[in-house]
Amino acid sequence: MIYLLTIFLPMLLAGYIYLFTRRIGGAKYIALALFVALFIEAWLTYANLLPSGYTILGSYLDVKRFDFVLTLQVDRFSVIMLLLVSVLLIFVTLTSWSVKHQSAYFSLLIFFAGPIFGLFMSTNLLWFFIFWELTLIPVYFLIGIWGDKQRIFAAMKFFIYTHLASMLMLLAFFLLYKQSGTFDMTQIKEGVLTTPALIWWLLFIAFAIKMPLFPFHTWLPIAHVEAPAPVSSLLAGVLLKMGAYGMIRLVVLMLPHQAQKYDYIILILGLATLFYSAFMALYTTHIKKMVAYSSISHMGLVAIAISALSFSGLSSALFEMIGHALTISILFVIAGIFHEKTGSWQMGDMGGIMQKAPYLATLFVIGGLAALGLPSTIGFVGELSVLISAIMAHGVWLAVIAAASLLSAGYFIWAFRRVIYGKQSKVVALTNFSINPVVFGALVIFAILVIAFGIFPQFLFSGIDRAFDTYHLLGGLA
Amino acid sequence: MNELVLYLVISPFAAALLAYGFGKIDKKIAFWISEILTLSLFIAVLYLFFHYTNPISVDINWFRFGHFSIPIGLYIDHLSMVMLLIVSGLGFLDIHYSHDYMAEDPHQPRYYGYMLFFIGGMILLVSAKQLSGLFTGWELMGLASYLLISFWHEQKAPADSGVSAFLYTKAGDIFLFASLGLLFYYAGTLNMVTIDHLATSGKISSHVSFVVAIFILIAALGKSGQFPFFPWLLRAMEGPTTVSALIHGATMVNSGIYIVARLFGFYAAGGALIVVASIAALGVFVGATSALVQSEMKRVLAYSTMSHLALAFVGLGVGSLAAGMMHLSNHAIFKALLFLGAGAVMLSTNDTKDMWRFGGLKKPLFLVAIFMAMGALSLGGIPPFSGYFSKDAIFATTIVTNHGDIITALTLIGGLLSIAYITRMWILIFAGKPRDIELFNAVKTPSKFWISLPLGIMAVTTLVLGFFQKDLADYIISAKYIEPHVAHMMPVVLGVIISLAGIMYYFYYLRLDLVKKLIAQPLIKSIHNILLNGYYVERFITWFTHNIVVDFLAKVVTYIDTHLIDAAIDGTNGVSHAVFSRLSKTNTKKSGDYTGGVIFLVGLVILTVMIGARA
Repeated sequence: MIYLLTIFLPMLLAGYIYLFTRRIGGAKYIALALFVALFIEAWLTYANLLPSGYTILGSYLDVKRFDFVLTLQVDRFSVIMLLLVSVLLIFVTLTSWSVKHQSAYFSLLIFFAGPIFGLFMSTNLLWFFIFWELTLIPVYFLIGIWGDKQRIFAAMKFFIYTHLASMLMLLAFFLLYKQSGTFDMTQIKEGVLTTPALIWWLLFIAFAIKMPLFPFHTWLPIAHVEAPAPVSSLLAGVLLKMGAYGMIRLVVLMLPHQAQKYDYIILILGLATLFYSAFMALYTTHIKKMVAYSSISHMGLVAIAISALSFSGLSSALFEMIGHALTISILFVIAGIFHEKTGSWQMGDMGGIMQKAPYLATLFVIGGLAALGLPSTIGFVGELSVLISAIMAHGVWLAVIAAASLLSAGYFIWAFRRVIYGKQSKVVALTNFSINPVVFGALVIFAILVIAFGIFPQFLFSGIDRAFDTYHLLGGLA
Repeated sequence: MNELVLYLVISPFAAALLAYGFGKIDKKIAFWISEILTLSLFIAVLYLFFHYTNPISVDINWFRFGHFSIPIGLYIDHLSMVMLLIVSGLGFLDIHYSHDYMAEDPHQPRYYGYMLFFIGGMILLVSAKQLSGLFTGWELMGLASYLLISFWHEQKAPADSGVSAFLYTKAGDIFLFASLGLLFYYAGTLNMVTIDHLATSGKISSHVSFVVAIFILIAALGKSGQFPFFPWLLRAMEGPTTVSALIHGATMVNSGIYIVARLFGFYAAGGALIVVASIAALGVFVGATSALVQSEMKRVLAYSTMSHLALAFVGLGVGSLAAGMMHLSNHAIFKALLFLGAGAVMLSTNDTKDMWRFGGLKKPLFLVAIFMAMGALSLGGIPPFSGYFSKDAIFATTIVTNHGDIITALTLIGGLLSIAYITRMWILIFAGKPRDIELFNAVKTPSKFWISLPLGIMAVTTLVLGFFQKDLADYIISAKYIEPHVAHMMPVVLGVIISLAGIMYYFYYLRLDLVKKLIAQPLIKSIHNILLNGYYVERFITWFTHNIVVDFLAKVVTYIDTHLIDAAIDGTNGVSHAVFSRLSKTNTKKSGDYTGGVIFLVGLVILTVMIGARA
């Protein structure tokens, strides 16, 4: 029951919280308390998981003659996602500490927590779809109301484009239901499907849009740029991970034979994404666009890891997802702060921030170094494990992945040069970079995590590995 | 023993944090933490050296993912021990010297923090058992080097130079990163000793060894500032001179040679040594000739570093592990000495680097002049200074193994030219009459304890080590080292060296006016310019990265993205908008541009549900 409440209570209460806190304020404390509670809940769930397979949390709404059962069951993979999501939600709350129109903002965030937990907990595809769609609504408003100048366009584009993905997904779900007679993703056997290839393609494109992979990525840069900085972290840290989660759970683990047939498609789009967005990031002078393209580039790495279709490949994909969430969140928030303080997006207008705000600049450098894969940060462990999984699965030519880290070094080191180092620009000299200590504290904690998990990655891997060690036997994966 | 090795690796990083943190309270604390820590490192290394019996091995599992595990163990044998002695010894002297050199700087905590961080990275590199650990040290050191080059980051030149250093070396590093994956695939392990054995015993095919060895070599050339990566080394001179001495003269740049030496069997089995020798021979020549015409003393030393490290590479390339490593060790000491000597000159002359403004400094800077002369003699290759023996060994091996006349010629010419540029440099700084009287009168004599003492220790070491070269060689290869014999080499080499020194003495001491006249000649002037600009390698690379990579490739990708891929998506919406606004006959506002799309998609939802329900 508690899990059912976890999903629906935030959605039901969001409106009341808005009305209640509009006058007296304090929505952020409610949001923070809720997200910490969610984190604890996810942690307890993790601790009480069955050693293998799914742990059933509850089953509701058993309607006769139609498979509409809200089956809540989780395995290690989904609980790790829940942990990641709740950490990200806490981070977003803390970094939005001094946002405008707080009661509305945090009510939307609270609303968001419901479906996102539902998404990772439900194994009924219909409910999966419903939660998937419900997550779009609060994010749409978060971008559309708190965004930058082109926010309406960005929010619309985000909504419609990802909605298109949902439609393909829904079509695939109906086909699955028709051919296998159930919406329960744990019950669907690939063998009974009559058109598995069609379903695979529909699902693949749907999740490729969400991840996003080249050439379906164009909704993301503008959404990232226009969204307020913490919401960008939410986009990169949670929404893109929905795509990667779907890619692993439904495209690879549910349809392993199709995935084996088409693994090169995932691989090629992953490689294209990795290099294509790295070049885009190299060319742009817009600080947040650069971070956005770097984020997409990392999702390319995740896709490459998934395409290995192996135990180690899935593990490294999940590790890279976590690393990406932590790293890119730091970078987005700081890029947002730089913009908010200097009033410019152009890196050329900044310069010498290290002299004005050394701690903030250092955090940006730590984030950048992690994103370019410096050993002893989480980014390197992710990159190395992806490189090795890919080479072991597809052959030595995938050593080419290494070249991407030169490109990312290129844009990040130049960004440091333009933004952090050098003489103080006129704008920077006049700017006061003081920020809310809560925001700063959240950034510091993430930076510490980025380094700590880079030095002691086994802490994460010991959990991640057990998320996939049973599937590699079941799905016929190497 | 194991605990001591762990102490060596971990303590510098911990101390870096402490020095940075407590340095905020008082700058002196940062210095003393560093001084004591580096001294303790040196003592620990000496203890290990004297109590060494068998290779010390510490196994640490870093992480496991799927079926694969990546360890990060430590392994110390003779080769690592030589490197550890160099790093900890010179590190200590360099920190000691920094007391006065950095005394005026307000950012000392940051400086000492970075320096200790660097030393930690270097120690990790030389004591790593697997390539994963080596790569970690390699990159951390690269980061420290970047941060220290752009230490005065508020100025343009150091900030730019840091960028070059990071990106030039990164261009090589990606090949090392790739070979981590390749070796994991082909050898199934990242343990360097095992890889060496596997290659020697033919378990890894020689084609594979060759390709991976070339990959690693590219990274090694990048890190060691070799052709064609050397421009970063020149620009690295923008950092504090203590940094140039320790990182860009004595230690970090050696890591490229160290990795080739560590995988020597692997290189030999793959037949990649000849490639090492060829590229390095070019570097010997390019570095030495460019050093001949520089007017800044740090640039002379930087080109000389490039040339001498290339010489060590040639030593390895022609098949003599001992000769290459001997030269690496000797070079580290005399180059640190010369750099710190140059730093002492700069410190006394208010940061002047241009040698044409000096002259006659041997009077006020007597001790520095003597010690630098000893360093110069060692670098130039005059017995009984240590530099002579290793250079001689490399020459002899090159001649005996005879990998082609071009390699031999480039190595000999480049190697012998070192006496010419270093004589020129010493004369221009210390001999003759002062050319800038104002500067000369303002010269301050540096502190004996903080500045001259470390110089003196290094000068004595470079001399004394000359008498232990045989033992050093035996120690490195753990066997009796036999230097190949070449008839009449010693008199010829010495003859050339002395006559080159004589020519330089004539031009730069007796007839300085003639030099200026000669340089004004059109032909000599154009050659002079080529050499002065390091054969325009940097200009070409900058042109390539800027015009081809950024302004062409990245621009084309961006163009495709905005005008093709994104435009198609926006266009679809435009179409649906046009259709639906016509249908609904509403005059939409700008913000409503997408209502059509929304209606379209809602329709699509209904359609999909209907199809689904039917099915």
